[in-house]
Amino acid sequence: MAAPLESPVEPDTREDGERQRFILDDTGFDEVPKKYRRFYRKWQGPGDTLAPNEVICPVCKVVIRSTRELRPGDRVYCMPCMSRLVVVRNEVGTLEARVTY
Amino acid sequence: MGARGAAAPPADIHDLDEQAFIEEVHSFDFWFQAVEGYLSGLTHGHKPDTVEAAFTELERDRLVTVLCNYCLGETAALEGASGLIAIAPNRLAKIFLSTQVADEGRHLEVFLHRLRDLGVAEAELEVERRASRSLQLFRRRLLELVAGKDWEAAIFAQNVILEALEFAVFHSHAQTADPITREVLLGVVKDERRHIGFGENELGRRLKAAPHIRSRIGQVKKELDHLVLDTLEETMRHLGIARDEPDRLGRTYLESVERLGFA
Repeated sequence: MAAPLESPVEPDTREDGERQRFILDDTGFDEVPKKYRRFYRKWQGPGDTLAPNEVICPVCKVVIRSTRELRPGDRVYCMPCMSRLVVVRNEVGTLEARVTY
Repeated sequence: MGARGAAAPPADIHDLDEQAFIEEVHSFDFWFQAVEGYLSGLTHGHKPDTVEAAFTELERDRLVTVLCNYCLGETAALEGASGLIAIAPNRLAKIFLSTQVADEGRHLEVFLHRLRDLGVAEAELEVERRASRSLQLFRRRLLELVAGKDWEAAIFAQNVILEALEFAVFHSHAQTADPITREVLLGVVKDERRHIGFGENELGRRLKAAPHIRSRIGQVKKELDHLVLDTLEETMRHLGIARDEPDRLGRTYLESVERLGFA
């Protein structure tokens, strides 16, 4: 779901390589205060896809979004369910988030 | 939240310091701004101009029974959450639970109101008459755990087991419900997201710090599992939901206990 909800803007050069950067738009997700809304969106079910800057929260199933392309080892927060997560690459090669307590 | 709440958030929320994140999401201010986003403008949990559906007598009767179970579940959660405040181990947990108490009170009120909308004159008496026996037993056991000041077991029973059950059932029911019930349920599901997250994360931290409590929580799970799954099956039957749906919803609950290491 990369477009039109968000658009890559420029690479971010870091020690571990270049990452795409994203400008996040408010997608209408209303379960967190306004200032945080652009970092989350609802999963639309079958047919929906995750952009490189998105992972699904395994606890509450909301899509977590970052301004950066995500990579294994990144920490993300799910504000709707208050979970701290780490991004991992699963056995089928896609990124997913695991809860860290 | 005071001064920090007024400050601009970082460019990426995931860059927040962990302690700042924890303080922020447990705060009363965070809760207030969150619920304001989806509850303002609603009356008794739904838009005032949403039109009532036409029910057959059987449909209405089944919905009344289901709502009676929801009322009992919310009553248990209201009593449980309010009792837990006194034994919560720190300020953040106490403040979060105060917001959960407000949520549970609202849920009970909107479901009772929905019963009255459906023509139930004595809604609270009807809840006593119709509510599931399994759920009544669950409520009794939950309140015993709270009264026994067993923080971990009570949080597990309430915010992991009960909230996961409610989250799964309400979400599923909302897909097929009449328009007013659907709006009420979707608002409640948004609250439940916080409650299940609080429970899993709080218990996860406790288990990490004190692994010896795992066997005690495992016993509580063993004791309460069948009550949860019986309630789930009963509710799904009243809703007329497909036979494989209880399994799918049961998995939602089982996934969360599995993440905590209770496979």
